[in-house]
Amino acid sequence: MSERDLDLQLIHRIQRGEQIAFTLLVRKYQNRIANILTRYIRNSGDIPDVAQEVFIKVYKALPGFRGESAFYTWLYRITVNTAKNYLSSQSRRPPTSDIDALDADHYDGSDALRDIGSPEALLRSEEIKNVALNAIAQLPAELKAAITLRELEGMSYDTIAKIENCPIGTVRSRIFRAREAIDKQLKPLLEA
Amino acid sequence: MNEHNEQLSALIDNELDNTQIMDALVQSVEQQDTFSRYHLIGDIMREEAPNILLDIDFSAFVLAQIEKDNQTLEVPVDFIKMKKNNILSFTKRFGQYAIAASVAGVVVLTSVMMSQPNGSNTHDGLEVLSTIPLGGAASPVSLRTDTQESPVLTKEQKKRTEALLKDHQLQIQIQP
Repeated sequence: MSERDLDLQLIHRIQRGEQIAFTLLVRKYQNRIANILTRYIRNSGDIPDVAQEVFIKVYKALPGFRGESAFYTWLYRITVNTAKNYLSSQSRRPPTSDIDALDADHYDGSDALRDIGSPEALLRSEEIKNVALNAIAQLPAELKAAITLRELEGMSYDTIAKIENCPIGTVRSRIFRAREAIDKQLKPLLEA
Repeated sequence: MNEHNEQLSALIDNELDNTQIMDALVQSVEQQDTFSRYHLIGDIMREEAPNILLDIDFSAFVLAQIEKDNQTLEVPVDFIKMKKNNILSFTKRFGQYAIAASVAGVVVLTSVMMSQPNGSNTHDGLEVLSTIPLGGAASPVSLRTDTQESPVLTKEQKKRTEALLKDHQLQIQIQP
């Protein structure tokens, strides 16, 4: 792992007490974690709760993270274990999770998180995806190639430069321009 | 700003080791939002973005929960301490009762065994543990016991036992 590894840079900052670095780590991985959880948990409404548990576990365990394995490998393991624990706890629980009418007024358990899985939220997510994919489809060929090789194939700038037969600086610029073009379409939607 | 975002783009791809860019990212909300959107683009391209959490800054929920956990953890510290102390005093007291009961039991058994005449616990050369049950005088078929006892001796034994028990109970009451 090189010093350029963004995860390591963020982790070092978290270990020094910079909480904002942890929020960046969450923002970076939240979708991937949710994606892993969908393979284990059928009820999509429960995924935000379990994802939250994953990140809380990560937060608590991060001071002891020594970087012996890649951060994502470590995170993946925690996610899978948390999903499995969740499933076994569900099988032990009685099938109903109704809240007593008297308690309903005082019930505040993860209300906001449950809204994430609402039909409106799902529709909005679908719209975001469509806008992003349309924006990618409209990219000039060289920008599309650069960002595809980077995001889908995980290639380094150096490798992309060799494949595209251009300087590394050009690759860096193309990838950035591709991101900016997609972001131009996404930003108004996400900020609405 | 474009130059900053280009460096941010390279930082995301692990192609830049620049503390200044990291500092700017940590300090600027705008840069952080761009960081999130750039990652979201990658997630959507790799089909790693399920229709959950897509437009949410999930870190806010996580940090709020961590904060909440810390608060709920802080409150019960004294409570746990208090409970622990109670458990300790309970085990201490329970231990005292257990010791008292054992001592009383040994005293009663000894007095019962001592009250039997010599030689009654051997039969045909075989040593047999001979005790009379506390509840009464059972007489096993295979074991012959003499029930002749000196009434004065028995009375004295009883007196001694009761005195010992009373003394022990008093000690327990005196102790905090």
